[in-house]
Amino acid sequence: MSDLSTTPDDEARAATARSSAVLFQKPLALESEGLCKSYGRRKARFQAVRGVSLKIARGEVLAFLGPNGAGKTTTIKMIAGLIRPDVGWVKIAGQDPHREPEAHRGVGAVLEGNRNLYWRLTPLENLEYFGVLRGMSRREVRSRGLELLDAFGLLDKRKEPVQKLSRGMQQKIAIAVALIHRPQLLLLDEPTLGLDVEAGETVKKLVRQVAASGCAILLTTHQLNVAEELSDRVAIIRAGQIVAEQTTEDLIRQFSQGAAYRIEFEGELNEAKQRQVVALGASVDGQFIHYLPAPEADSATLYKILRTLEPLPLLEVRQDRPDLTDVFLQLVQTHD
Amino acid sequence: MIDLMLGELKRTWIQTLRYPSEVIGGVVILSAVFYGIFLGTQYMAGPSASFGTRLDTVVVGYVIWSLVLYIVNDIATNLQMEARTGTLEQVFLSPFGAPRVFFARAIASLTLRLLLTLVVIGIISLMTGSQLAFPPLLLLPLVALLLGAYGLAFFIGSLALVLKNVQQLLSLFQFFLFFLLAAPTEGWTGPAKMLVTVMPILPSTGLLRDLMARGVALDWTGFAIALANGLFYFVLGTLLFRWSEGKAKQQGSLGSY
Repeated sequence: MSDLSTTPDDEARAATARSSAVLFQKPLALESEGLCKSYGRRKARFQAVRGVSLKIARGEVLAFLGPNGAGKTTTIKMIAGLIRPDVGWVKIAGQDPHREPEAHRGVGAVLEGNRNLYWRLTPLENLEYFGVLRGMSRREVRSRGLELLDAFGLLDKRKEPVQKLSRGMQQKIAIAVALIHRPQLLLLDEPTLGLDVEAGETVKKLVRQVAASGCAILLTTHQLNVAEELSDRVAIIRAGQIVAEQTTEDLIRQFSQGAAYRIEFEGELNEAKQRQVVALGASVDGQFIHYLPAPEADSATLYKILRTLEPLPLLEVRQDRPDLTDVFLQLVQTHD
Repeated sequence: MIDLMLGELKRTWIQTLRYPSEVIGGVVILSAVFYGIFLGTQYMAGPSASFGTRLDTVVVGYVIWSLVLYIVNDIATNLQMEARTGTLEQVFLSPFGAPRVFFARAIASLTLRLLLTLVVIGIISLMTGSQLAFPPLLLLPLVALLLGAYGLAFFIGSLALVLKNVQQLLSLFQFFLFFLLAAPTEGWTGPAKMLVTVMPILPSTGLLRDLMARGVALDWTGFAIALANGLFYFVLGTLLFRWSEGKAKQQGSLGSY
């Protein structure tokens, strides 16, 4: 339940402060500032990304959300150094991937729609190859590969060609490959897309483990429940611009302001008390009271309703909080 | 860089040899095509015709053509295949940088290809009775040839990075190469000889034919020209590849096909 004694403005200010606090407590794995990218020429020219700035601290998961064509993949690829921004800069652990190839040692990526793996190679051979490609020594890469296969529960599949494994296993290997060189930043573009429920749960568990190990994660997904479960912060992009960026909890809480309360009590409310409740702007339906606060209302009315119920036992006081999907839709539709 | 080279070598060998039927098929096709050309020529020349050293020069020309064709197509074909299969962008995330990675890949696939080429030479020699010489000095013009061929490979690779679909161009290039390698340029004089000096690959193929088929000693001046020619095209190709990488990143089309 949200804090009942604060106003929406207080909430927003507190959210920004908490968000900053999270950022500045830990060293930053990613800093990007004012990224812009346009495609096409003359009349066909369109701005895919307009001034996107993102920061992610080590161990933090940032869900980067937006409708199709909003600029998520272009932004991720600009961060990885695969697309050159027209304006703006990127620093991964202090290094610019567009100027210093060494910066790639700090980033791992699982890109959407891509296999990211060589299908004729086994999981261990893929890990060994990509480890060397990321600048690790051959000796180091073998032990690290086995360690990751063990951690991801794939040790018994290490000698099977990747093409013979299930989609879920392939995705786990792709994430393991992205982590082989112990990057400080992991870019995950739709990591649970096309996976069955069980494989999706496994990938979510892995993402949590990776973040707990201190790796920063930039996650894009259309499965907003996945984003809500995994992310510490959310950035929502619409038509190339960030329209919201806050901690996940604060963003949802902010959108809970003005949401309806449902109070369940035991026993019978006499007529006089029912009139008092209705006079306070709520409605009574058997053993339930429904109360929708006015947009600028504080929590005083809610407490007055609760006092009216005294001494009847309260069974539940619940606010119908929106989930990330509601928040996302509201934000995206507001900016349409 | 040595670890990268060994890593690429291992990846290329595993990927190629995991399905041996593909390799055997390649060797059979290369040998059969040559034998077809050989039989056709023999039929036209009559049963009593003796080809002598000409047969050997044709064998050398054919083997070089197949090797150079493979090399020239190698980078572009790999780029297209990996863009399709979705591993290309991972390759560009390497701290080594794309030109070094693709150079290591080229060397790795070359070692495999040279071995297969030796097998093809062996089969052709058995079928036709051609006797080629393999003096150690052969390696010098071969290096010059490979430098030039990789220069062209990076050039075509650059086009593949920027233009994406270069399949038609690769087909056309086969005939251009066939002309470059089959023309008996050693006997050319005057402006035509100058042309041989500046055209890619040509100076080194002449030297290889001299060494392997005609038993002529290595012409050092010719070798210096071939090496300079090879280096020029190699540097030009890699510079162009670097430029194309930047262009593809600017267009946002690196991983697309």
